[in-house]
Amino acid sequence: MRYLMTTKSSSRTPDESLFAEMGQFIEELTASGALLATGGLEPDGLRVTSSDGEITVTDGPFAEATEAVVGFALIEARSQEEAVELARRFRKIVGDGESEIRQVFTQ
Amino acid sequence: MPVTDVHRTVDAVFKLESAKILATLTRMVRDVALAEELAQDALVAALEQWPTSGVPDNPGAWLLAIAKRRAVDHIRRSQRLERKQEQLAHELDPAGADREPEQDDVLRLMFISCHPLLPTQERLALTLRLLGGLTAGEIARAFLTGEQTITQRIAAAKRTLADAQVPFELPPGAELAERLASVLEVIYLIFNEGYAATSGDDLMRPGLTLEALRLGRLLAELAPREAEVHGLVALMEIQQSRAAARTGPSGEPVPLHEQNRGRWDQLLIHRGFTAMLRAREIGAAPGPYVLQAAIAVSHAQAASAEDTDWVQIAALYEALARLLPTPVVQLNRAVAVAHAHGPQQGLDLVDSLTSDPALQDYHRLPGVRADLLFRLGRSAEARREFERAAQLTRNVAERAFLHRRAQEITTTDAQGPTLGQAAQDFLTRDDLTPSSLRSYTQTLRRLCRSLGERQPLHALTPQQVAQVFATTWTDAAATTWNRHRSAVRSFCAWAGLDDLTADLERRTGPGHATRPLSPTQLDALFSRTGLPLRERTLWRLLHESGAGVTTVLSLNVEHLDLEDRRARTGSTWVSWRSGTARLLPALLSGRTRGPLFLADRRPAPARMPAAADLCPDTGRRRLSYERAEYLFKQATKPLDAAANGYTLSRLKP
Repeated sequence: MRYLMTTKSSSRTPDESLFAEMGQFIEELTASGALLATGGLEPDGLRVTSSDGEITVTDGPFAEATEAVVGFALIEARSQEEAVELARRFRKIVGDGESEIRQVFTQ
Repeated sequence: MPVTDVHRTVDAVFKLESAKILATLTRMVRDVALAEELAQDALVAALEQWPTSGVPDNPGAWLLAIAKRRAVDHIRRSQRLERKQEQLAHELDPAGADREPEQDDVLRLMFISCHPLLPTQERLALTLRLLGGLTAGEIARAFLTGEQTITQRIAAAKRTLADAQVPFELPPGAELAERLASVLEVIYLIFNEGYAATSGDDLMRPGLTLEALRLGRLLAELAPREAEVHGLVALMEIQQSRAAARTGPSGEPVPLHEQNRGRWDQLLIHRGFTAMLRAREIGAAPGPYVLQAAIAVSHAQAASAEDTDWVQIAALYEALARLLPTPVVQLNRAVAVAHAHGPQQGLDLVDSLTSDPALQDYHRLPGVRADLLFRLGRSAEARREFERAAQLTRNVAERAFLHRRAQEITTTDAQGPTLGQAAQDFLTRDDLTPSSLRSYTQTLRRLCRSLGERQPLHALTPQQVAQVFATTWTDAAATTWNRHRSAVRSFCAWAGLDDLTADLERRTGPGHATRPLSPTQLDALFSRTGLPLRERTLWRLLHESGAGVTTVLSLNVEHLDLEDRRARTGSTWVSWRSGTARLLPALLSGRTRGPLFLADRRPAPARMPAAADLCPDTGRRRLSYERAEYLFKQATKPLDAAANGYTLSRLKP
């Protein structure tokens, strides 16, 4: 089953050791096949709205800095518990904050 | 956290860590079975403690630490035991507890669980258990079999490994390639079991394909210098990328060239390409998995079915057929050749395979033939072949699909009775004795399966019949051959056909071409652990005496002369050697009369045999010929490349 994990900004300030730990974690998960894709997101971005067929594009930011999604990971896990376990390991590295996990429906 | 949630967390963590934990423990205690027990202990401890203490920060390390502690306890305990066991304790390695788990340990464990000493089915179950962390119940569900069967397979495998004292080490250089091939085979078999479910209602069982992919990626990490490992991973990733596209809305298979390529999973294709690049970078001559992956890559690179580079694919199949000349590869090659160079050339190749006994009941052969015949405009033959393929497949969705393809073909089939109809009429006459009915049914069922029930009776040729005989009964005894031959003659006479056995010689002489089992096969059979004593004795006796099966089964305890290693039955003597002599006393276990080989159970009152076939002491009946043959056939399936199993007559030296 595939899960999309999104992450809001975290307490730990990124430094070299965070990058090193994170790099190793990503490498391990990619090799084991659990991590299918991952990336960081720009904080602001664009919003595309359609209303009565009319398309409007607005510049960000749209939310409080702590509410913005700053990263995502698409993971393959046997079960929801396994996805949670992987998320737990991720949170151990990045420190306090919030991630969301949602199953991706395929087929 | 509620207890059930903790259970699921423990389960998830255990599955992630299982390979590492078991590998570390096996290094410490040098025994897979014991290592697994210790790991289970750790699992139980987690189930007890986590609900109250909470899930630890690093649950994997927690489980490993507990398991290691149990292992050290165990080692100390066995060191305190008596002198006899000191030797065993000596081999244990308590110091290993402090070492970090090495990646090589997991690789060692993989080599053990895929050891060629184990029958294939046991390798699959043990690998999923040890490396995948699946429970016996989960494995059983994946293979659509009973949990007990899987538990037994795993237990038998562990016993064999312990008996053979298989060392926990990487195979030495010369053996490495062969042993690695066995690991790759196990992983690919697991993948295929999930990908092309051979039986049942679903065409795919995704759990197994994902487990195989995990194992493959794990292996690629552990043995990064082996091109074939990356080849296998590439092959599986790309095949898996088509998972969503290869079945239609009602579960029917969609052939590759009709698949909606927009539904192919680009993420997995990308991973496949990456693995393929790693394989190419190593630069060795391409092995079978790299070649198969290259074929998969070719398909994945084609934007549409029409863009497929069939010439390249046909060339890759030709290279593959040289390394791996299996009938299935040849069949796929024929398909590629048909696309690259036209259906007639493909059909010529397919037709060269129809006499291969291994493909006799393989549904894809008539399926491919049907497709090619259809493209050549030979619709009546195409329709028959589609129906024959439908009859042969065990997969429900695929059967429905093949029936539909058959029905879509409108033919101007000549009117007149079909082989299937005529065979049925022939067999339902009421003037046949039960024994000739049984015998005729066997012959005609074979003809119908091989030639198709819808084959028009009047189009049957002696050449077709001769080919069925050559494919099916070449190795049969002369009497068997002649029995089938005369069944066909009776059928022809009854149906008013010319003699279709015109191309078949009557055979003379006893047991034509009954090849004895090879010494390696015999070794594999007799060295198997867990063989019931009765079977072991019967097979030894048949092998050592060279006597006929019915003769040996007719032996009574009172006929035996254990001292002189012989027995008298009727007017013949049966004599044996030390192997049988060692087993007989245990088999007799005090019995002094009645049949030597007994059935497992007492007969039902309604089916009471003659007194001579009943053991006066146990009340059990004499082991029947049919049952004895059946048991041997089942037991020898793993030895037989075609997986049909052998008849008892092949035990004769």
